[in-house]
Amino acid sequence: MIERCLIFLLFLTGFHAIIVRKNVIKKVFGLGIINSAVVILFILEGSRSGNSAPIIQPGVQDVVDPIPQALMLTAVVIGVCLTALALTLVYRLYTHSLSLHIDEIRRKIHDTTH
Amino acid sequence: MIQHTDLIFAPALLPLIGAAAAFCAKSLRGKTSRYLEIAAGCTGLVLPFFALFLLYKSTLYGAVYKGVIGNWYNDVGISYRFDGISWLINFLGFIIALPAWIYAQSEKDTKTFTPLFLIQTAAVGAMAMCADIFNLFVCLEIMGIASYILVASSAKPGAFLASFSYLMISASAMVFFLFGVYGFYRLTGSLSYDSIALGLSLLPDNGGHAAVISLALITGAVVIRVAVMPLYGWLPDAHALAPHAVSAVLSGVLIKTPLFALSRVVDILPSGRAAGELMGYAGAVTAFLAAVISLSQSDVKRLLAYSSISHIGYIVCAWGAAVHAGTHTPEGRILMSAAFGHAVFHAAFKGLLFLSVGITADRTGNRDITALRGAVKFLYRNGEKIPVTFPAFCIGFFSICALPPFNGFLSKSSISLLLAGNWQNVFLIAAGVVTIAAFIRLARIYFPDKNVPSPTYTPLASSTSGSVYISQIFLSLICLCSGLFGPFLLHTFSRILSGGLREWPFSARSFYTIPGIIKIIFYSAAGFGLYTLSNTHSVNRVLYLIKERPRSFDGLFTAFGLGLAATAAWMLFR
Repeated sequence: MIERCLIFLLFLTGFHAIIVRKNVIKKVFGLGIINSAVVILFILEGSRSGNSAPIIQPGVQDVVDPIPQALMLTAVVIGVCLTALALTLVYRLYTHSLSLHIDEIRRKIHDTTH
Repeated sequence: MIQHTDLIFAPALLPLIGAAAAFCAKSLRGKTSRYLEIAAGCTGLVLPFFALFLLYKSTLYGAVYKGVIGNWYNDVGISYRFDGISWLINFLGFIIALPAWIYAQSEKDTKTFTPLFLIQTAAVGAMAMCADIFNLFVCLEIMGIASYILVASSAKPGAFLASFSYLMISASAMVFFLFGVYGFYRLTGSLSYDSIALGLSLLPDNGGHAAVISLALITGAVVIRVAVMPLYGWLPDAHALAPHAVSAVLSGVLIKTPLFALSRVVDILPSGRAAGELMGYAGAVTAFLAAVISLSQSDVKRLLAYSSISHIGYIVCAWGAAVHAGTHTPEGRILMSAAFGHAVFHAAFKGLLFLSVGITADRTGNRDITALRGAVKFLYRNGEKIPVTFPAFCIGFFSICALPPFNGFLSKSSISLLLAGNWQNVFLIAAGVVTIAAFIRLARIYFPDKNVPSPTYTPLASSTSGSVYISQIFLSLICLCSGLFGPFLLHTFSRILSGGLREWPFSARSFYTIPGIIKIIFYSAAGFGLYTLSNTHSVNRVLYLIKERPRSFDGLFTAFGLGLAATAAWMLFR
């Protein structure tokens, strides 16, 4: 149970960063943290059936469920792509508005276009 | 000999092969690079039509191709299912993607655009045959990543912010989607829709609250992509600031594909019907409110973007009613056919409007509805000796205003006839009236106005590329043909969705009745009246306040949280 509480805490930390923090880089960090929280949750789920590596050989018992691990490998790759793309966009926004504050960026873009 | 069981992968694989070839073209120079890029585009966007043509007959008679990729065990491998709805989603995707890609060839540098566009199209093809909940997540993410880049590719500062907001809200929503996947996997140990449904049916109370909340999380995450109110905040900027070809595909295809893919997911649980009911209500309200907001806009593309939200409201309203009635019941299938009919017809006329209005704004260098006038003359003076853009706009205009015999009239009428007597229909009719007013306002940009100074006519350095005209003519023909043969097309969509059954209740005579035509005249007059009213000072002031209503990044997440909580509560306590 304690593991799940910690994962929930981790998720809340990331979600707090996305919603409350005004710095766009911290928002991207928040996205990375909530991604990590869900990855750990799946890995924890996979370990319910055991902790041994899922290489079926005589004498090997209580192996982890490999499917959540396989799923999370995909999710991690997607998460890395999203973080890289988000940081690229942050860089472009910064070069235009010389600020990382989301409201300031929005205001400057609004002023430019109107 | 290629079997149908192989052909079903063509709509996903051919665009991917094309994307690989287009990436290779980036490393080459000169004409070789250009030829390879065009070959890649044709491979990814033209060849799939042949596959769909070959699959048409079997799909029409209810053939369903299902299995596990690589012949793995059902619980381990990725399940797929190609049926009528898959065929239709692919048809929708390719019929709009092809003219959009042709239009984009007018840009100077398409070497980055083509591979990304093909990857996005491949994701639509893959999503159409998803029968595995994790694979749906992957398809949504691939489609999302390609579209974030394509939105930002217009290189405007506003486009970067729109893309960033779109990315952050979608990616965060997909984390909730994964929580939903976790819930189902924990309950059933399965990922394929059929296995999850079977596993849940063996559990007491179908998995109880945990299953319902898992489904609500998945539904909420997908609905973000569909942009139903209140989860629409990312869309207006993304669609308004993207390159025109991308706007056409975003509005025509990408906001609808996840909705139809979701119809299989909500079937997993009986409480999925409640989710459909709530979404149907949200769709009706969305159709009206978004139409009102579109009337208040002064940017030509932003008006079109809000109009897209309004029309997705129509589609979601019919879709929600179909899910609520049960997608396996005749009533549900007919409503789903009407929803799909409007999805296809809207994709055609909105794509056409985005392209024609987009090129007008580009050529005149003005996007302001209140300041741009006399665009027809401007286009003529700048080389469009045979008018294409204005007639194309007119076809889109008549279609979106639902005037007979254009396609919008048929699809909106079929939804209205099916929902007659429900309060949602009142909202949809009101939305139609406001849409007419908004598009009369937009159409003013093409005509001179004695109260607005005419723009200075300066000859442009470059002439408009032929691909711009070809794409507009292509979409105009689709709009005209789908208007003339609309009753037959809607009947065919219904047959494909119902596995060959002739359930569609309407013929051409059902639409062209005297009371029906009188209603259309009345609604058009009401739309014109509203347009006249919108020019008065007091109404103009109200519209200005609607346009300048406060919007923030955090608001997107608040709306998502509220939407998610409302969906879960409705499904639990309904």
